[in-house]
Amino acid sequence: METVLQDLRYGWRMLWKSPGSTVVAVITLALGIASTTAIFSVVDEVLLHSLPYPGSNQIVSVSQTFRSTGAGASASPANYLDWVAQNHVFSSMAASRGMQGNLTDGERPERVRFAMTSSNFFPLFGVDALLGRGLLPRDAKAGSEHVAVLSYGFWKRRFASDGKILGRNLTLNGEPYTVVGVMPANFAPDDYEELWLPSPWDVPPYPLAPQKDPRPLRDSSYFDVWARLKPGMTLEQARAEMDAIARRLEKQYPDADADVGISVVRMQDSLVKDIRPALFILLAAVVLVLLIGCGNVANLLLARATDRTKEVSIRTALGASRTRLVRQLLTESVLLALFAGVVGILLARWAVPALLALSPPDISNFSRVGLNPEVLGFSVLVSVVSGILFGLAPAFHASRPNLNDALKEGERGSTHARGGTRSALVVAEVGLSLLLLIGAGLMVKSFVRLMNVDPGFDPDHLLVFSIGLPPSSAPEQQDAFYQQVENRLQAVPGVQSVGAVSRLPLSGGNSDRTFKIPGSDKEYNADIRISTPGYFQAMGIPLLKGRNLTQQDRTGSTQVAVVNEALARSVFPGEDPIGKYISDFGPLNDKVQIVGVVGNVRHAGLEIMPRPEVYLALGQAHWPSIFMAVHCKTSDPLALTAAVQNAVWSVNQDVPLANLRTMQDVIANSVLRRKFTMLLLTIFAGLAMLLAAVGLYGLMSYMVSKRTHEIGIRMALGAQKADVLRLVVWQGMSLVALGLLMGVVVSAIASRLMSGLLFGVSATDPVVFGGIATLLAGVALAANYVPARRATKIDPMVALRYE
Amino acid sequence: MIQLRNIERTYKTGAGVTYVLRRINLDIREGEFVTVMGPSGSGKSTLMSIIGMLDDSWAGEYYLLEHAIHKLDRKKRSELNRKYIGFVFQSYHLLDNLTVYENLDVPLSYRNIPGRQRASMVAEILDRFQIVGKKDLYPNQLSGGQQQLVGVARAVVGNPKLILADEPTGNLHSSQAKEIMELFKKLNDQGATIIQVTHSEANAAYSDRTIQLFDGWIAKDPANPEASPVAAQSR
Repeated sequence: METVLQDLRYGWRMLWKSPGSTVVAVITLALGIASTTAIFSVVDEVLLHSLPYPGSNQIVSVSQTFRSTGAGASASPANYLDWVAQNHVFSSMAASRGMQGNLTDGERPERVRFAMTSSNFFPLFGVDALLGRGLLPRDAKAGSEHVAVLSYGFWKRRFASDGKILGRNLTLNGEPYTVVGVMPANFAPDDYEELWLPSPWDVPPYPLAPQKDPRPLRDSSYFDVWARLKPGMTLEQARAEMDAIARRLEKQYPDADADVGISVVRMQDSLVKDIRPALFILLAAVVLVLLIGCGNVANLLLARATDRTKEVSIRTALGASRTRLVRQLLTESVLLALFAGVVGILLARWAVPALLALSPPDISNFSRVGLNPEVLGFSVLVSVVSGILFGLAPAFHASRPNLNDALKEGERGSTHARGGTRSALVVAEVGLSLLLLIGAGLMVKSFVRLMNVDPGFDPDHLLVFSIGLPPSSAPEQQDAFYQQVENRLQAVPGVQSVGAVSRLPLSGGNSDRTFKIPGSDKEYNADIRISTPGYFQAMGIPLLKGRNLTQQDRTGSTQVAVVNEALARSVFPGEDPIGKYISDFGPLNDKVQIVGVVGNVRHAGLEIMPRPEVYLALGQAHWPSIFMAVHCKTSDPLALTAAVQNAVWSVNQDVPLANLRTMQDVIANSVLRRKFTMLLLTIFAGLAMLLAAVGLYGLMSYMVSKRTHEIGIRMALGAQKADVLRLVVWQGMSLVALGLLMGVVVSAIASRLMSGLLFGVSATDPVVFGGIATLLAGVALAANYVPARRATKIDPMVALRYE
Repeated sequence: MIQLRNIERTYKTGAGVTYVLRRINLDIREGEFVTVMGPSGSGKSTLMSIIGMLDDSWAGEYYLLEHAIHKLDRKKRSELNRKYIGFVFQSYHLLDNLTVYENLDVPLSYRNIPGRQRASMVAEILDRFQIVGKKDLYPNQLSGGQQQLVGVARAVVGNPKLILADEPTGNLHSSQAKEIMELFKKLNDQGATIIQVTHSEANAAYSDRTIQLFDGWIAKDPANPEASPVAAQSR
């Protein structure tokens, strides 16, 4: 212990002795440690931490899927009730359906997110309320269901954390609710985390018919199901039994449950499945940045080790064993790394909030992302491991001096072996940074390709928002309201055109229905949209054939639809769909006549191919809430915000406007996850390139200083400046070429791992590979040129005297 | 104390093998003060490195006290080095970043001597060499003579049986050199065996016996007039 303290003391002194190189090493490592810490803080919370529910590993998400396509995510009430009754693997099951509603207490109406839940929803998660209670089975009875439980965030935002909130009345969708509880901050099993309400039939009501008992519904799946595995039950056992139940139900109800399977996924996996690959790629990227940093510091220490040959030789002559010398040198490295760790953690403290600000909701919803003790422990571990990693080669080299030479007066230790190690490190750094740069290059190209995808509508000048009347309003009343709002908006100065639709592209959420062609048993599937005639014009969706929906398409007139090109091509290949009929479409009893074909719209994501869509006329079909699309004459649609709000409130002042934003914002949000990965990967790749360039610069400066004598002789023998420049640049660029070659080979293999994150670009895109390699070679040439130029300024007389 | 039998040391060069030491046969008794002299390149420092066990790449037999050094591995040799030998170098080779006190402490710490005992050993040596007042100074704050005084103190702090001094006064002026040589004599009188390399006849005069090296051969050894007949012929 005493000798360790001694090593620490000497180590501290050595670091202070050369503050310049110590600072460079600390900054280099700190950047790597800060990046690693920041990304790990996200990985730790999102992927490694259990969800904040007791026994969260036993909680699973259960949903219907189509076996043939794997698609599907929700459950229907009748199926859910059968699952509950027939399974032996779950100790409990619960259902919830997210919705939006109008809260009309307070100065302004507000559109809030709430979930209708089954009564065992709260017991299943096993989290006690912060204030009051969760929902109980007795709340799920008609007449007792007007109670609400608030989320922590909503209680804090809307009621300023009022401690006397219990018993207070809220008016939601025009009906009174009594607050009976507030949940703690970390309770957020779904993203409808503002309010939870009981369901009068103990299953969430069907949004299109909220007043009707939904329990017999088998072919309308619209809610999420959660379950808790019985103690000792495995996921595989649960899957096997649920699969058996699905097959039984399929036989029993061939109309509704044909091809319907049941998926059972751990809740944690279901929450993070989309972001996991990106996080792993980012974690790999920061580890590479850290490795490149370690390479640089190892090079710095190798240079220092050469200067310390004499010191180490004396210590050896005084009896130091090799182990002891290595230990002392490693102590210095670890000390250096721990300093860098402290600076890195301070940088990460700043970087984590910035990271969260950039991150998509999959990450920012995890409110506990931050520098917790585990993350700090990880950073310290990373620091120590880096210290050992970059200190090992210099320590072993330094501890093996040629004593005879080193202790002789005027002798200089051989630097040949160290030169080899240093060159190898720089080659590796160039290769690794090329790998990162190519990864970033592929992501950037994917993003550019994605942003160039035609979404099928014109997002410029568009302001969008959603509104809805309480579900208790009659459908006719709702239709009239939306029509009136559209008319008032049309009259607002600066508004070009206005339309309404049940589902806005790229806003999340979708609704699909099956249908048939009269005279055929074949079943098709299409997304359903309810829209006003003005919608296509406002969105700039082109009419390709036939006619648009009109104001005359109302209740009582022929049921008509406009379909998109994808449906026309897949259902009526080589035929003219105009005048043709579709039948058994969702809730509609009548046949629907196709009157027009419009262009495809990318609804689920810019990278996802359009699906068949059917647009029904508002008035002939109904939807509980609607998106308004306002095409403005001005290039800044948000400038019309107040006028648009007033127009809506002039029709009904209790109706709030939700998610008011431009369509460009909607698109930006839809690509946030991809942008997040691309941006971070680009930052890390830039950092890697900078570090590799600094490493190369350091190596070449060192080589030039070691070759001063040789260059002096060459110049004395007649070498011109250009000859010297060529000599040095050639030496550096041959290392770079080797690094690039290795980097290209490794990238060609590794980039396949990220092919799932790419769009419209191959994992071995030659343009990206070539362009990035050229870029890196250019940067390396610049890093090489500076020491080479310095070499040309060597005065042969001084150089020879110096020796 | 030391017996060298047919010690040879070579270096590989592009042109072949270069001999630095050839068939060295040498006996040194315990308590002897021996001087090794010879022109530059004659192999003096190499001989010191082999005796001090800093060099492993030699052939022949080397006995130190009861140990057959040529049969030992590097680790064992290091242990014997720590146990028996103290070095004094021409250019002092004090560790620049350590104070006088710490420089004296370093060899003891490598011998795993407990801290308290080390402190008393360093205090004793500071006192004995009358450098207590300099203990917190760094080497660059001392004169050449003072630095070499510390160098000698460091060599003897662990009470070695053998002191190897490679041109210990080479960088000192004559009065300082005299002081150091008298110190060696005193240490020798107290029982230490000393081998010094020097170019100075005056310094050699302090020793009991002077060995001459030439081109790697022992050209003259008063204790063994037949040591190197080949060398004698080659001259």
